[in-house]
Amino acid sequence: MIALRGLTKTFETPAGSFAALRGIDLDIPQGELVAVVGRSGSGKSTLLNLIAGMDRPSGGTVSVGGRAIHDLGADRLAKWRGQSVGVVFQFFQLLPTLTVAENVMLPMDFAGRHPGRERRARALDLLQRVDVPEQADKLPSALSGGQQQRVAIARALANDPPLILADEPTGNLDSATSGAIFSLFGELARSGKTVVIVTHEREAVSGASRTVTLADGRVVA
Amino acid sequence: MIAPRWRKALRDVLARPGRSILAVLAMAAGVFESSAMLYKYAVLQPELTQMYGRTHPASATLSLDHVTDALVDSVRRVRGVADVEARPVVVARVRVGQDEWTPAVFWVVRDFERPRIDTYVRDQGAWPPADDALMLERSALQVAGVEPGDSLTVRVAGDRDLTLRVGGTVHAAGLAPAWMEHMVPGFVAWNSPIRGGATETAQLRIVVADHPLDEGWIREVADSVQAMLVRGGHEVGRITVPTPGLHPHAGQMAAFLYLLLAFGILSFVLGAVLAATMVQAWMAEQIKQIGTMKAVGATQAQIAGIYLAQVAMLAAAAVVVGLPLGILLGRAYAQFAAGILNADISRAPFPWAMMAAVVMVGVLVPLVTALVPVRRAARITVREALSDEPGMRRAAPPTDAWIAWLAWLPRPLALSLRSTFARRGRVVLTVGMLSLGGAAFISALNVAYAWTRAVEADFASRRYDLMVGLTEARSIATLERVLATVPAVEHAEFWPGASPYLIGAAGVPGGTVSLVGPEPSSRLLTPAMEQGRWLEPGDTDAAVVNRAVLTRHGGLGMGDSVRVRIQGRNVAFAVVGVAKELYPMPVIYAPRGAVLAATGQSNEMARSIRVVTRGHDDLSQRAAARELERAFASEGITVSGMQRMQDAKQGILDHLVIILSVLTAAALVVVVVGSLALTSTLTLNVIQRTREIGVLGAIGATPRTIASHVWFEAMVFGALSWAVANLMALPSSWLLETVTGRIFFGSPLDFRLSPVASALWLLLVVVLATASSVYPAQRAARLSVREALAHV
Repeated sequence: MIALRGLTKTFETPAGSFAALRGIDLDIPQGELVAVVGRSGSGKSTLLNLIAGMDRPSGGTVSVGGRAIHDLGADRLAKWRGQSVGVVFQFFQLLPTLTVAENVMLPMDFAGRHPGRERRARALDLLQRVDVPEQADKLPSALSGGQQQRVAIARALANDPPLILADEPTGNLDSATSGAIFSLFGELARSGKTVVIVTHEREAVSGASRTVTLADGRVVA
Repeated sequence: MIAPRWRKALRDVLARPGRSILAVLAMAAGVFESSAMLYKYAVLQPELTQMYGRTHPASATLSLDHVTDALVDSVRRVRGVADVEARPVVVARVRVGQDEWTPAVFWVVRDFERPRIDTYVRDQGAWPPADDALMLERSALQVAGVEPGDSLTVRVAGDRDLTLRVGGTVHAAGLAPAWMEHMVPGFVAWNSPIRGGATETAQLRIVVADHPLDEGWIREVADSVQAMLVRGGHEVGRITVPTPGLHPHAGQMAAFLYLLLAFGILSFVLGAVLAATMVQAWMAEQIKQIGTMKAVGATQAQIAGIYLAQVAMLAAAAVVVGLPLGILLGRAYAQFAAGILNADISRAPFPWAMMAAVVMVGVLVPLVTALVPVRRAARITVREALSDEPGMRRAAPPTDAWIAWLAWLPRPLALSLRSTFARRGRVVLTVGMLSLGGAAFISALNVAYAWTRAVEADFASRRYDLMVGLTEARSIATLERVLATVPAVEHAEFWPGASPYLIGAAGVPGGTVSLVGPEPSSRLLTPAMEQGRWLEPGDTDAAVVNRAVLTRHGGLGMGDSVRVRIQGRNVAFAVVGVAKELYPMPVIYAPRGAVLAATGQSNEMARSIRVVTRGHDDLSQRAAARELERAFASEGITVSGMQRMQDAKQGILDHLVIILSVLTAAALVVVVVGSLALTSTLTLNVIQRTREIGVLGAIGATPRTIASHVWFEAMVFGALSWAVANLMALPSSWLLETVTGRIFFGSPLDFRLSPVASALWLLLVVVLATASSVYPAQRAARLSVREALAHV
């Protein structure tokens, strides 16, 4: 599913060059739930950004589902992302002026994947799946953190992508809610989706089929 | 069903009404001013350029001894004459107060129903007017202080007073407004009782065929008419050929229209810059949402579409708000300006095309200017957009020099200023826009100051208070005896004068020139000199000319001979100096003796008196004029004209109204646009520094302290714009003073800076900056620490 070869990423900062990733080689098969762990600054989020096509590598290649994405143009990358990847963020990143259902419909709108009249029904189905159907017509600000993250997961599933990437998805939630969110990711993996979670949570590590540990931009375990 | 992205576009606009209203107001201000200026331009431009032509102006006017219908028919048959009309003119005075008279001129009309040359339009009153009625030019009512139906006393031929009824008014678009000329123009019937006096002149107005705009051809035809009249035994006096096709105030009108157009375009540019500033700030605020949308699959075009749709909505709202208000102001101002210029816009069609252009441009310009910031925002990578690192998506951090410079300020305040001024592009735009308004404001005051100083200086060089004209020459001894009986009179001089033709470079007599003969030793006239020197005792055939003579006689210079044709012979004077005068008509000053010799006037007689009164203010001059009127009347001496210098000065100062009204009105709207830009910038700064404000609150800053930071920030913007406006005003003032001087007086005004303009702008900018800071300061002060820290 995911194949990374010689992946490097260097940032230019006022203090000089900073190598976030230093030659990563990694393969993740389809249907796996992978936890990426490591200390702050180890390169976890950078790795996730490169797999999602949200940033460009300084060197090496990124192949997802057999497609090399590291040299795609910005718009082709966006289209690919809309159809092939669902992203979940630590701070949910729901658009504040759209209702919960509209937030879930937004990726369908951008990708043009489903007919317009079917999008709301699909959004409601997804909200049902993540257990917040009654919140469909509320604004995100009316929801708790856990509910917002469930909505964010529903949005990630909007176009039924084979790959789900989550960056510290429970970093802003209490432990009980975190457990429920990780359960959701487990269900997704069992349904055949590949799930990569960047996390500090032990619970995620314990539920993952595989753990990748990063240190100073390298895979150490 | 509306797609979610378009719902987002709409709801983002509605979700923050304060910010959206600010954006709409900022764009509406540009639409408002540009539509007002362009409406005025669109309505006035065709009228001002066509109204003179519609009056069928005479190509030439010939003054002669008398005129009959048969003579008119004969002239019509002269080759090159397309039309001819007899229009005798009666020079008179009308009473505007006890012993106070204002110059008046009445044209005698053969047939009011069918005017053919230099036409007029009926305005109010019975038509055709009765034989004993006066039909005043509509702009003369104010000068004469009468209304239709009132009685007005007319003094004809210096001593015959007739009280006649003002039968109504006409609009004579070919005449300069009465208030501007400080005289009362009007029309009377062929059998009017004011006719027959010594101050009536028969006149023939002709229109030439074939080449109506060719001045040489017009003079040729006028000469043919003159020759025919002379052969028939008539005495032909003055032949006047006005500049073909040009209204007497064409220069002022052109300047007026130019200013309107320039300010209209400037307003659009300012509106566009303001729109770009606001969109740029909007994009900065939306950057995380843009990152999120890109993360879930939005392409650059889709992102750009959302924000351009928002800009289009705001721009459309701005047009809805700004356009009707602009049209209202434009209409009111066009009417005011039309009144000033004696134009009639009551039948002007609504300028649909211009307003449609304003609508289109009002929506398109913000869209076009938004393209760059929207495109830049749409191209940002997801990682950059979602990063919390300030360096990734915010402005560059302030430099060490900045931080050191602000060390004297309290730390929290220095932090606010550093954050604000780190966004240099926005600072430059905000200061720039406020400065433009300030520069326009200061320039308007500088032009007014330069104009007033020039007029004051010009009149200070004429150290007499009254200029008295008599209907016939009287002995100087008699006049001195009468003057001695008037206590208000301190001193008087008797300068001969005449109105000969100026002989041009080709040796052909052209228009008339005033020939004035002061004693070279006189202290009553000491004009500033552009070149050469003033007249000196001992000069015999020396002359000093003003700039207007040089304009009409290309190539004339110091040491050359200026020649005039007077009473059938040519007289030459040697030019020894060029006087710096505001008077736009040509004047030649020559020694009294030389003028007497040239005109054949007696040394013992005079028709013109320069009087110095004991008091020099307006009231003293008025009182002295009344006493002189009575004294001359008691001696049977008839006065043909009494010019008060304060009145003449005010006449020139009144011309300033045209330019100053356009400049200040336009400047004030630009100032308002600048203030909106400042409010917008301060508000966006508050929005973007919400977390920072939360931190300040958390460490103990009170809402009052936070609000005062915003106010201080506004003051810093105000102070910067004050300094920049003063610099920008230097070239713009110079340009405006040069252009207005050339248009109105034929030479640039001396460059002057008003001592109060800069101080007034400082005062105004403090008030504006304070007003601009109210909303953002309140917004900042009302933020709770929890909300501020949670702001994403």
